[in-house]
Amino acid sequence: MSTTTTVTPTKLWSGGKSPFNVEYGKLMMWYFLMSDAFTFGAFLISYGTIRFSTNGWPNPNEVFRSFPFAPEGINAPLVFVSVMTFILIISSVTMVLAVHAGHNMDKKGVVRNLILTIIGGILFLSCQAWEWNHLHSEGAWWGHNPFLNHDGTASSTNFTNYFFTITGFHGFHVFSGVLINIIMLIMTLTDKFEKRGHYLMIEKAGLYWHFVDLVWVFVFTCFYLI
Amino acid sequence: MEHTHTEATEQHEGGGTKEIWKVTIILSVLTIIELALGFWMMGMGLESASRLAVKGTIVILMMAKAFYIVAYFMHLKHEIKNLIMTIVVPLALFVWFITAFLYDGNSFRHLRNTYDPHFKEQSTIKVEKKEHTETKEKEAPKEAGKEEKKTVE
Amino acid sequence: MTRAGGVIADNRTIKDQSMSNEAVIHSPVEVAAHDEHGEHHHHHETFITKYVFSQDHKMIAKQFLITGMFWAVLGGLMSVLFRLQLGYPDASFPWLETILGKWAPGGHITPAAYYALVTTHGTVLVFFVLTAGLSGTFANFLIPLQVGARDMASPFLNMLSYWFFFTASIVMLSSIFVETGPFSGGWTAYPPLSALGDASPGSQTGMDLWLISMALFVVSSLLGGLNYIATILNMRTKGMSMTRLPLTIWALFFTAVLGVLSFPVLFSGFILLIFDRNFGTSFYLSDIFVNGVGALPNEGGSAILYQHLFWFLGHPEVYIILLPAMGMASEILSVNSRKPIFGYMAMIGSLFAIAILAFLVWAHHMFVTGLNPFLGSIFVLLTLLIAVPSAIKVFNWLTTLWRGNIRFTPGMMFAIGFVSLFISGGLTGIWLGNSALDIHLHDTYFVIAHFHIVMGVSSMFGMFAGIYHWFPKMYGRYLNNTVSYIHFWITIAGAYMIFWPMHYEGLAGMPRRYFDYSNWESFKNFVELNRFISTVAMIVFAAQILFLINFFYSIFKGRKVTSLNPWGANTLEWTTPLRPGHGNWPGEIPEVHRWPYDYGKDGTEFIPQTTPVGADESHH
Repeated sequence: MSTTTTVTPTKLWSGGKSPFNVEYGKLMMWYFLMSDAFTFGAFLISYGTIRFSTNGWPNPNEVFRSFPFAPEGINAPLVFVSVMTFILIISSVTMVLAVHAGHNMDKKGVVRNLILTIIGGILFLSCQAWEWNHLHSEGAWWGHNPFLNHDGTASSTNFTNYFFTITGFHGFHVFSGVLINIIMLIMTLTDKFEKRGHYLMIEKAGLYWHFVDLVWVFVFTCFYLI
Repeated sequence: MEHTHTEATEQHEGGGTKEIWKVTIILSVLTIIELALGFWMMGMGLESASRLAVKGTIVILMMAKAFYIVAYFMHLKHEIKNLIMTIVVPLALFVWFITAFLYDGNSFRHLRNTYDPHFKEQSTIKVEKKEHTETKEKEAPKEAGKEEKKTVE
Repeated sequence: MTRAGGVIADNRTIKDQSMSNEAVIHSPVEVAAHDEHGEHHHHHETFITKYVFSQDHKMIAKQFLITGMFWAVLGGLMSVLFRLQLGYPDASFPWLETILGKWAPGGHITPAAYYALVTTHGTVLVFFVLTAGLSGTFANFLIPLQVGARDMASPFLNMLSYWFFFTASIVMLSSIFVETGPFSGGWTAYPPLSALGDASPGSQTGMDLWLISMALFVVSSLLGGLNYIATILNMRTKGMSMTRLPLTIWALFFTAVLGVLSFPVLFSGFILLIFDRNFGTSFYLSDIFVNGVGALPNEGGSAILYQHLFWFLGHPEVYIILLPAMGMASEILSVNSRKPIFGYMAMIGSLFAIAILAFLVWAHHMFVTGLNPFLGSIFVLLTLLIAVPSAIKVFNWLTTLWRGNIRFTPGMMFAIGFVSLFISGGLTGIWLGNSALDIHLHDTYFVIAHFHIVMGVSSMFGMFAGIYHWFPKMYGRYLNNTVSYIHFWITIAGAYMIFWPMHYEGLAGMPRRYFDYSNWESFKNFVELNRFISTVAMIVFAAQILFLINFFYSIFKGRKVTSLNPWGANTLEWTTPLRPGHGNWPGEIPEVHRWPYDYGKDGTEFIPQTTPVGADESHH
């Protein structure tokens, strides 16, 4: 038993300091994101379970094939959603740059990149709003599924049920992420972090924002690609 | 105090801006490959092995993207190994979570196809397919009517 | 390797940046600048900030405890009422109509009221009493005290955690008083009973309130759990390495991990259920034919999916309930045997194994739902594996007691009672874990007996053990010993007398969730037995009232604690003043030099963790 051996104070786990060299807030954010990963995981897995227990499923390429301002009836599968994906990736990049600027105590850089991230988030939400609206006008909603299965048989409503629930839940996360980023921006502008001497808050907001991007990677694949 | 702090965080910062742009390019390339595969897949047969293989590839690419986001954007790669372990190890629970759920979902489909004639029948009756999507909305009620008729027959 | 070294060097320089709790000791004034919650040293506490919206972990623990006790009394009273129905199905009790009104016309409980009572009893006891009341109380109370921290990592979120729980309580309580009654489809809330509002009176407003309450509860347990994990990892005092943590802390740590990873899955399941109830979706609904209405339009869903999602939480939940009791029992057994805990590392290892296995076995609750039999057999294997760490723990407790210099304090009695109940209940778990046997035993009183003994009553015993053991630290007074012993003996004897006979009823095929068995010829011979069980249940409930009186009387009038360390324990909480203020230690946080189980070492009765290791001290 190693319990009585004298522990040298340089040992990471010997107490009196964080074994991970991170402050508690970041640790809590990480574990919160883990638990949120289980929330989304449960959604996506139950979507998979229902898909596996159903005989047919609609073809996403036939469902998601429109584009804003394009003529009606355009057949452009995957195009709009790839635009959304890139918006989110780019906003993630600007968020990393904001965190990076924060490490360097570069207030201007933080402000600039945070504004870009917020714009990216709002753009993404607008795209999602347009897509929802478009699908709704086609008769798709919770409990209503106008689309047919791959093989032309009638589909259960669970295709649209899951689509709206999961993208909605993701959209809610994007929305709260935008709110958090706006709060961070205000705090930066009022020199809260300058006075505190560090921009660790931005890092935590960044973790949340990247998580939103991460979830989109899975949602995008599960709903639009396969 | 502040000075030492910035220095300290700087040290386990990792590659800096250069790395960020490199990862951005990797993520974009992966996404473009995914999309290309998605377009390629459209021509394939419904339950064909090639389609399944492409889907598998897409899932692998998805995991790769997730890895790059978590490792570099969320900075996990540059944290202490113990922190990485406490976050990665619990995620292994997803393996059994996914396997058991999907396996039982699949088994439930077989059960229904075997013991629920209505369920089986429904998946064989084709609803007349529309040529244009835009007409779908107007014809939706008709479509529903047709579907009902056919099930009655 | 070089990286790790570099990081440590950095860590020392940036320690004051709220990376450690140490900063608080040396320079409170300087720390207040970067420590957002550091003001507790110098602010005047009003009644509101001290007793209501308190951020002191000890007060929050007491709030959890007393709210939990309220629910325990209510949940226990409910069980007395439905036991009355089961024991005396033909008798009429006019006073029932007085308290239940239209739910008991003419002194007979209606079937709807019976199911509402059973459902609320289950929900309340599992979530509000044994989750919030048990781990909420002791995680809050013990974690900062035993790891040597001023407070939780985030006292504010800790306070929020309690108030989310409080709101959940209020919503659940209000569901009892709505016109159509509380939810009555069982604590597991399986669809379609929970998904279709017309399924039963309780499936209407009662179910909506139930879901809201549970969603709030999930938020509360997440806030709490994140805090517990962050505190245990980040806020340990100097010298308190992970292998010097008392087993209570290890158990509470794994409890928090279980909660953080499994409650979100329940949350997702509930969101889908809310959509099914209110927005016309069919996640869980398919092929449903309602008498007089016809076929419902819902197609393609799967009720089994809900059960999977529910039990993905539901099984870890069992361990969320049980692990804190295990941890406290380990600590109390060791202290009062005056012997080191046997197999400290094995205890941690088995806790870890249990925590992992808890996530892999959920479908053993679903063997008869139409689960794939092959998948079921894997779940049987994984389920039976739990017997290994459980047995390790049991044998370690027994060997800790073996030839110990045992002091039978009330806390110790309850800890021994816990071990006894855990063995008796755990053994029947091996029966139920077999899918073939489970076909016969599923949904019978055998299951009721099993889970009540192994997780219900035994965790309750763990909770009582904890209350009796740490009451002097909580309130600075002792509980009355005589009353405590009476409480113990009635409860342990009563628990066995209530639940042991249920095994026989279950083996004979008596199904659970029935309102009245007197109409079945085959269960006629259990009339006397049921009456016996109900009578004992009432006596045991009365004994709990005795405990409550003892508890509240002793808070104000109990014998005062005069010694800092009344049990002669090694852990850090006994180095605090008799009534520690917010911040726990008036001076510096003590440094830790040894593990917490140095009892009877080198002829010394006990050596507190704060005593430095002597030069000539032996290794064990």
